[in-house]
Amino acid sequence: MTTRMKRIQWMTALGASLTLALTACGGDDGGSAGADDPIVVGVSLPLTGDFSEPGKGVQRGYEAWAKITNDKGGLLGRKVELKILDDQSNADRVVADYEQLIGKDNVDLVVGPFSTRLVVPAARVAEEYGMLFVEPAGAAKEVFEQGFKNLFYAAPAVANDHYNHLAEYVLALPSDQRPKTAAYAAMDDPFAQGTAYGLKEKLEAGGVRTVVDEVYPPNTTDFGSIAAKIAASKADMVVGGSQYQDGVNLIVALQQLKYQPKLAAFSTAPTNPEFAAAIGNKTEGILSPTGYTQDAKYPSNTEFVEKYAAQFGSPPEEDEANAYTTGQVVAAAVTAVGCAEQGECQKKLVEWVRTNTVETVVGPLSWDETGKPKGAHMIQQWVGGKIQIVLPAAAKETDLVYPKPAW
Amino acid sequence: MPSGALLLQSIILGLLLGGLYALLAAGLTLYFGIMRVVMIAHSAFLILAAYLAWWSHSRLGVDPLLSMIVTVPLFFACGVLLQRVLLARLRAVTLTMMSVLLTFAIAVLIEGLLGYVFTGTQRRIQLGYGSASFGIFGARVAVVKLIAFGLAAVALLTLYLLMKKTTFGWALRATIQHRDAARLVGIETERVAGYGFGLGLATAAVGGTALALDTTIYPSLHWHWIGPLMAIIVVGGLGSVPGSAMAAMVLGMLQSLLQIPLGTTWAQTIFYLALFATLAFRPQGFFGGRLAQRF
Repeated sequence: MTTRMKRIQWMTALGASLTLALTACGGDDGGSAGADDPIVVGVSLPLTGDFSEPGKGVQRGYEAWAKITNDKGGLLGRKVELKILDDQSNADRVVADYEQLIGKDNVDLVVGPFSTRLVVPAARVAEEYGMLFVEPAGAAKEVFEQGFKNLFYAAPAVANDHYNHLAEYVLALPSDQRPKTAAYAAMDDPFAQGTAYGLKEKLEAGGVRTVVDEVYPPNTTDFGSIAAKIAASKADMVVGGSQYQDGVNLIVALQQLKYQPKLAAFSTAPTNPEFAAAIGNKTEGILSPTGYTQDAKYPSNTEFVEKYAAQFGSPPEEDEANAYTTGQVVAAAVTAVGCAEQGECQKKLVEWVRTNTVETVVGPLSWDETGKPKGAHMIQQWVGGKIQIVLPAAAKETDLVYPKPAW
Repeated sequence: MPSGALLLQSIILGLLLGGLYALLAAGLTLYFGIMRVVMIAHSAFLILAAYLAWWSHSRLGVDPLLSMIVTVPLFFACGVLLQRVLLARLRAVTLTMMSVLLTFAIAVLIEGLLGYVFTGTQRRIQLGYGSASFGIFGARVAVVKLIAFGLAAVALLTLYLLMKKTTFGWALRATIQHRDAARLVGIETERVAGYGFGLGLATAAVGGTALALDTTIYPSLHWHWIGPLMAIIVVGGLGSVPGSAMAAMVLGMLQSLLQIPLGTTWAQTIFYLALFATLAFRPQGFFGGRLAQRF
């Protein structure tokens, strides 16, 4: 308790003006211990600035979760109420926001913001106050190297594990069919690079030789030279650690060079609704890991997609789903432990999440001691003009096509 | 050692890239020649033209090349207006410095408006022939890249003929070479400068359309272009259109070839290394340009 008081004083002294301004805004009473009071869930999101687009997606996901939960009678018989602050995509601001939410506004629970850059500072504050911190974004491995005890990433896998199912599939192929060489091109970004390098590590260990290993800056728009290198190497398979536009550009550049690999996998881009049109519908056989799809047949997902569409008029995407998943994890812990307030209760919540598996819209989730989820992403493939789940075998909608048809 | 096929492919890509750089840099060096103006907003206009090409293709369904029928005259008019209404008002003593600030503001304004109207989402023109290509000695030449190169070549040739063979071109070159002397022989330098500026901006319309054919565009993309373009016009000799074209071809080729051993990230630095080298050893530029010596 004393450390907490000291912390608040220190904060006030250090960022006096900022804290005062924030305090002025959050003038409502802090206590929320009564049985009829709502459970207040605090979150700071980048609603303006660099991450405002995904930030708003995460906001919609949280709002959908609060509404769906409340429509079913809330948590522990109490209504759920969100308290959302805007951190303007600023890492300093996010710290002040969580200090305010926990210290001043005395919220009962907190959930995470968006992007690795903001998750780490926010998690540090939650850690100091001993709050459970489930977060919807922050898949880079740095997040799990900070020694956080209360952090859990509410998604199936971190970037490096996205391709695990595909790695298993490739290495299980009979040796005369297995690709012998692979070309990798990844954006200089911890997430995009992580996906490609996760697969690279596993394939190299399994004997698939790396013939091209290219990293390009995020602002690259001309992929002619990278594609030329890949095409000249005649690699059996190509892997792109891509976001969206770079993946599209690289694929078009490869097609311009008439490069025909046996297997082509790109992260993120192929799951985008505009992808097929963007590359002139030459999508056949392209693979992609996906953390979330509206088609996944987990029971809560069907409900989520339906109710989300009713609330917002369009089906949810991955950002929305990740936020919703975060809410589901917190709700499961609160329901099981039977409390939702600061103090001792948070320790029990953390303990429960660490030792249990939660059924979510992205499937069952469980975590290791660093808060890293133990799963892997599903692998989707463009088959017959639409993207379908092909791995793991248990969730597949259709069989993986290998070698891929010409594009 | 890279294989012969990869080398040939890279040389072809370098040529195509260099052609595009040459066109994009031509306008930039023209402004400087005419008015000693550093036009930071040139690449923003480039992206604006690219957006208009994308918009006319995706919303109106016309081929992006046809958008130039509108954008080229429109940009010419914009350029004349910009010069007459804004830049001509700057005081001669602080012109170069103040033009940086003024055109910086224009660049930010264009970027903001693009973001507001089209959002920050990356766009790419989806052409039926987007991934078409043909073979040449084992290398592939993409049709869209060749069209972009063709556009650049035609635009540069037109510019060259305009400068060399027409009375307006002579007046423009006279204005570039010595403003006072030009005025003494009866050239209305103010009006010529306005048209020259319009001409520069018209090249941005062509360049933007060429650019839109084969790359993704987004509102802040112009910051990515202005650096290399500035480097090209300094290496080429400020104010010299043929000089900047030469520098563009050389640097485009070097960038493409250096990507083989160095990768994309480090290959970009060639522009800045060339810029440093030029400023250190030959500030007037390597391919002509008497102007910089006056600094």
